[in-house]
Amino acid sequence: MITFFIVSIVIFVMMRSIPGGPFDEDKMPLSPETRAKLMQQYGLDGPLYMQYLKYMWGVIRFDFGIPYQSPGETVTELLARAWPPSLVLGGLGMLIGTPIGIMLGIAAALKRNSWIDYIASIVSTLGITVPVYVISLVLMLVFAIWLKWLPTNGWGSPRNWILPIAAYAIVPVSIFARYTRSSVLDALNKQFVVVLRSKGLSEWKVIMKHVLKNAAIPMVTVFFPMFIGIATGSIFVEKMFRVPGLGNYFVTSIFRRDYPLEMALILLLTLMVGFAYMITDILYTLIDPRIRVKSKD
Amino acid sequence: MKKLVLMLVLVLLAGMIAIAALPADAAKEQVMRGTTMEGGTYMDWMKTVYNRAGNPDVIQMPISTYDNNFELHPVAAESWSVSEDGLTWTFKLRPGMKWSDGTPLTAKDYVFALERAVTQGYDFAWYWSWAGGVKNWGAVESGELPLAEFGVKAVDDITITVETTDPKPYFPGVAAFWFPVPKHAVDKYGDEYATKAETLPCSGPFMVTQWVKGDRIVLEKNPHYIGPWQPMLERIILYPSLDNPEVAFPAFLAGDIDGTALNVGQLAFASRRFPELMRPNALFQVYYLAFDYEKPPFNDANVRKALFYAVNRDEVTSTILKDVAVPARTLCSPGFPGYSEEIASQTGFNPTLAKEYLAKAGYPDGKGFPKVDLWYRIEGGYHAPIVKPLAEYLQAQFKKILGIDIGVKGMELKTWMDGLTSREHNFFLSPYMYDYVDASNFFSIFQSGGRHNWNNAEYDALVREANSLSEWAVREPLYIQAEQLIVDDAAAVYLVHALENKLVAAYLKGPGQEANKYGLYPQSIYYTWCNTYIAKE
Repeated sequence: MITFFIVSIVIFVMMRSIPGGPFDEDKMPLSPETRAKLMQQYGLDGPLYMQYLKYMWGVIRFDFGIPYQSPGETVTELLARAWPPSLVLGGLGMLIGTPIGIMLGIAAALKRNSWIDYIASIVSTLGITVPVYVISLVLMLVFAIWLKWLPTNGWGSPRNWILPIAAYAIVPVSIFARYTRSSVLDALNKQFVVVLRSKGLSEWKVIMKHVLKNAAIPMVTVFFPMFIGIATGSIFVEKMFRVPGLGNYFVTSIFRRDYPLEMALILLLTLMVGFAYMITDILYTLIDPRIRVKSKD
Repeated sequence: MKKLVLMLVLVLLAGMIAIAALPADAAKEQVMRGTTMEGGTYMDWMKTVYNRAGNPDVIQMPISTYDNNFELHPVAAESWSVSEDGLTWTFKLRPGMKWSDGTPLTAKDYVFALERAVTQGYDFAWYWSWAGGVKNWGAVESGELPLAEFGVKAVDDITITVETTDPKPYFPGVAAFWFPVPKHAVDKYGDEYATKAETLPCSGPFMVTQWVKGDRIVLEKNPHYIGPWQPMLERIILYPSLDNPEVAFPAFLAGDIDGTALNVGQLAFASRRFPELMRPNALFQVYYLAFDYEKPPFNDANVRKALFYAVNRDEVTSTILKDVAVPARTLCSPGFPGYSEEIASQTGFNPTLAKEYLAKAGYPDGKGFPKVDLWYRIEGGYHAPIVKPLAEYLQAQFKKILGIDIGVKGMELKTWMDGLTSREHNFFLSPYMYDYVDASNFFSIFQSGGRHNWNNAEYDALVREANSLSEWAVREPLYIQAEQLIVDDAAAVYLVHALENKLVAAYLKGPGQEANKYGLYPQSIYYTWCNTYIAKE
């Protein structure tokens, strides 16, 4: 709660300290009368503390105001419209990319210094270092322009979703391949693996039931915050593939000085990140009984 | 291990089968697919210009508009006339005009548009008070006078009178940005009528039938439109998120849209691969250096003149700005009213003279010159390939020729504009594009109380007089005299005029897709979209 209010004050003050306002002057300066009328229209003519209190009073009642850049709807309606595409594409990207990354990481760990290990290493290095808009362009070039299998962009039909999902999936594939490889290698060197193998358990069961569980902590640490980041939309992926999602609004709300929307987005992100870390902490105790015992102690 | 590899292969196969099974979108005839401005609030030009959504300038009928040869045509107005003293314009509208919902479109809708702007606040207000000179705009806006004293009146359903403070012979050209606002829709839905397709009555050649925020705007031919140039297209689909060539060009290559702007990297590729589809356009636009004329070091005209003669415009436009800009030697581009060969001949690269002026200012070889930052605006479109390279070129050039250090900073628009208007910064790479085709448009930039604080009473008097006369042969010499004052004082350091390059699909045909008399493709949207059709193969 305290974090929430501190963040709200910091963002409120920062946004209003940037020069300019939600209306534009481009060619000629606005006359003082025009500026005053526009400030009044946007509710920016009162003292700053009153504007803050008025906004936060709305937040408490789940009224985040009207976004300046989309005045025909409330902030809540805008989020309800723009978030699902980001959630769907980002969520699917995570759901597809995470198991692929984990499987690739396990395969790389089991077959160290083999061709599969090198492929996993190349994929994870490229996925982490190459910017996502470059990856998006390459996907577009290969599948939409050269092969003409898929459209370059859009949201209308499931065909349009494939390339952005692939672009989103690259991130979890790369990161989980790397994390899983190193965690599994670490766990494979433990005594309990030797014991399990000597007891006659199949390699599949040793890896999937025991080793993976021991290697899960670093992956869980990364999963939820990554999910929050991807599920709120990447401006690059959404821009490249013309997805009407939330990602773009994180940037436009600053450039357009859209104070209500910017506040709502940051507060939403604050809540979600806090929630993600809380879930992660709970999962730690479920996965690793030693953490449960230490907590009890 | 084998199980893992098998699972991976199965996932890939399933994906490929799923892709093949999905239905593809079918193409439509007489449907043009293009781009439009991203974001935006209201699709209502008379509510906001700089934050507008979509293309409000094609869904409503302006009083007049320009064709691709920059000739003015009556649109909503059938004719216009001016009183003997030049202060009162009378516009006669076409009888029988209707909104797309069948409601009659009358003079009251045009008058309401300006009345709402003056009373509510309008980011384009300067255009009407300053360029248009509408009588009592400022006084009504501030509340000093009631709306009844406003200089715009509907005499009857088809007659509008406009009174101006000074004679404005170019006012019919100013009225190219005068669109009606459906009062009946505003009464019912407020200004939010212009945020949804269902509540947005249109008067122009096209009407909005679908507006999916963040995805597309669909325009269809308006059956109630009775203006000039009946459209040949049935439908136009606009994608706001394809506003940048970085995403629009791949979409064009894949056949998903019918035209695209080009950035400088794409330009080289497109010129080689699709030379017959290139559409160059010399914009009526200028980049110049502007200053805070009241604070050191730029309050000294010698410093400004040093910069004026230190720029090698031919070099920069034949190297780093090749194909995206041409040298600017005057305020107005060649071909625009107000362009003067006499002034152009004085704008040249003269490093010796530049050094002399800097020495006269007290900074021989740049010694003691304070470090200043040149602010340029970070913008997309035709600005993107020009501003940063140009600013960096100037940084290098001024160091080489004058020995002065300048920093280069890209600022987003609002911060740049704030620095200019509040006089908190002193050195700007400044763009200006035309609004209407008349010399007064550009010359007003340097009038006192305008964009800059270069306050020259002689310049103001010359421009005010030139603006008020009706014969171009009498106005032109006054503008030349006024521009001579700019050059003599180096109030502006002219740099370049921007070029714009677009790529358009071969099957887009019609007068709107042909080169104008200058061999260029201005793409005045109203004219172009009405005069374009899809050629069948």
